[in-house]
Amino acid sequence: MQLHIHGPRSRRVRLLASVSALALGALTLAGCSAASPTASSSGPLKIGISLSLTGDFSDSGKAAQRGYDLWASVTNKAGGVLGRQVKLSIVDDASSPDQVVTNYTNLITQDKVDLVFGPYSSLLTVPASRVASRYHYAFIEPAGGGPSVFAQKLTNLFFVQPAPTTKGGDVFANYILSLPANKRPKTAGYAKLDDPFSAPIAASIQKRFEAAGIKTVYDQTYPAETADMTPIMSGMSAANPDVVVGGSQEADAFAQIKGMIQLKFNPKWLFESNGANSPGDFPAAVGANTEGVFSSADWYADSTIAGSSKFISDYVAKYGGDAQKIDPTSAEAYSAGMLLDQVAKKTGKIDNATIIKTLHSGTWPTLVGNLSWDQYGAPKGAYLLIQWINGKLTTVYPSATAQHAPVAPKPHWAG
Amino acid sequence: MHSLIQAIILGILTGGVYALMASGQTLIFGIMKVVNLAQGALVVLGAYLTYTLFTQLGIDPFLSILITTPLLFLVGVGVQYVLLRPLHGDDVAQLSLLVTFAIALGVEGVLSFAYGSTLTNVQPAYANFSWTILGYQVSLVRFVAFLLSLVMLGLLYLILQRTKFGRSVRATVQNPMSAQLLGVNANRVSALGFGLGAATAAAAGSVFGMLNSFNPGSHYDLISRLLTIVVLGGLGSIGGSVVAALVMGVASSVVSALASPIWSDFTFFIVLLLVLLIRPRGLFGARTRGAL
Repeated sequence: MQLHIHGPRSRRVRLLASVSALALGALTLAGCSAASPTASSSGPLKIGISLSLTGDFSDSGKAAQRGYDLWASVTNKAGGVLGRQVKLSIVDDASSPDQVVTNYTNLITQDKVDLVFGPYSSLLTVPASRVASRYHYAFIEPAGGGPSVFAQKLTNLFFVQPAPTTKGGDVFANYILSLPANKRPKTAGYAKLDDPFSAPIAASIQKRFEAAGIKTVYDQTYPAETADMTPIMSGMSAANPDVVVGGSQEADAFAQIKGMIQLKFNPKWLFESNGANSPGDFPAAVGANTEGVFSSADWYADSTIAGSSKFISDYVAKYGGDAQKIDPTSAEAYSAGMLLDQVAKKTGKIDNATIIKTLHSGTWPTLVGNLSWDQYGAPKGAYLLIQWINGKLTTVYPSATAQHAPVAPKPHWAG
Repeated sequence: MHSLIQAIILGILTGGVYALMASGQTLIFGIMKVVNLAQGALVVLGAYLTYTLFTQLGIDPFLSILITTPLLFLVGVGVQYVLLRPLHGDDVAQLSLLVTFAIALGVEGVLSFAYGSTLTNVQPAYANFSWTILGYQVSLVRFVAFLLSLVMLGLLYLILQRTKFGRSVRATVQNPMSAQLLGVNANRVSALGFGLGAATAAAAGSVFGMLNSFNPGSHYDLISRLLTIVVLGGLGSIGGSVVAALVMGVASSVVSALASPIWSDFTFFIVLLLVLLIRPRGLFGARTRGAL
């Protein structure tokens, strides 16, 4: 799972998104359904992608680009898809929801690409997927898992992560509620970032905890511009819950933890929906204080899923660096390509109608787990529960895939 | 009661850091009547400089202030000389808004290019250390930052009150025309004033980088806070901006801890509106020009 909203400019971008979504909706209403441009069925397999190579989402956009490029080069070395070499057309949308519409329209109608893959973030996936739907293109997308994506009820869309973003914390609730009643936390505190990708994750956990009798002793929602979390954590610390659930993105998760350390408040369980699942940024932000913190993820460097070690060695061979620094977005984008390979192998065809029809049934192994979707592209699986143990992200739940038993109570802060 | 006192301690310490940023902002306004929209971006630039000095050369973030402040002072002087000085006519105030906003965007662009958009922070070994005093937690970084703000503000006061340059600044603030007639070089005063404002941003930036995760876009939230502080304190009043920063720090911290973080900024705006209704020039805004 990755962040889908970054930085203080996101509100402005979101406003732009709503305006452009409205405009696009009006366009779609005014016009009739467009005919699918005829793409060639021989020669190279052209795949069009718009990515945020500049602007707010540029770091994640470039990570997605590395994943797509790696898949294309690995596939081409192995003979391509059904003997056709893959040729990616990647264009920059500067993280703008307007540009992403222009880009996909151009890719489909001017460049006449055979297929498209998704951009980065839900913000851009929503307008982009409508363009793809209008031209009857399959829309396999690795980075748009917010409620707005599935609310469109598009049947050509497939989100390449184990579950919708708002279900990111359900696996933590599963773990806690699997404990015998006398070992469960009695009280819980929630700190929720007020955005559609964060607060709902914590709210979903809270609903299940409360139903199971875990009392809520602190519950606050904070706006995105809250830079200093110490006052909120001082309220949390006064309420002294057994388990703290942060419905967070990255900066606020780091700030929550810094606040807790400074206030010398160490809960028995601590779950952060985002931020703590970042193998490089999290230790850089909180130093040696990672130990025992829970989060959820789909792919990370020590993942034991089939294909992961090959992906890592190919990645390092192509881009250098070390495995721990690989952004999960790269694995998610790579997984989008893996789905194409499998559809081609299964059906012997690689056109949009076949892809859409085929992916709607069955289960599809990827780097981010075995995927299957409901009719509107929401994945039906669950994320993995991960915990920082001995300085490394480790899968601890569900037990079948766990590398280590969950560590609780959480060790003391290193300071 | 414990929560309330803890929140007040946090608020005062945080307010001190904002006071430092806002003092530069209000100084620049006082001298040049320029609302400097780039102050937040200069703070973020200071934070990135500190980050680089710390990660590349291992220089302690607090010590790096000795390097970053002169550096940004020069940047400030340069910016004033090259971009603001050529503005003339009655529209200087409006034009300077656009120019300083352009500077902010420029700084953001360069930082995005150099560092990417990923969040980062300055993490010395003592970043999260806190003392327990009578059951209350006092963070080392915040406490030292608060002292540093006091020292920097004290220095600023001495420069303005006890030096020839300070006298020229105050004269320019009171009446630019008369000051020039009496031999004050207004361009020089403006350039040095802008430099001083930028230097305070550098010092605040080092601390900001230790307290918060930041990226090149962090200046948007900063500048909105700084503008409200400066307006509450009274445009051009350094003392006013210090008091306003402390009011903001304490108000948002107490409301966050005891009521809801959603209301913390809103409460501050209510205070701001009430103050402006009673004192339209802010808490310490001068009735006549010249009370810096």
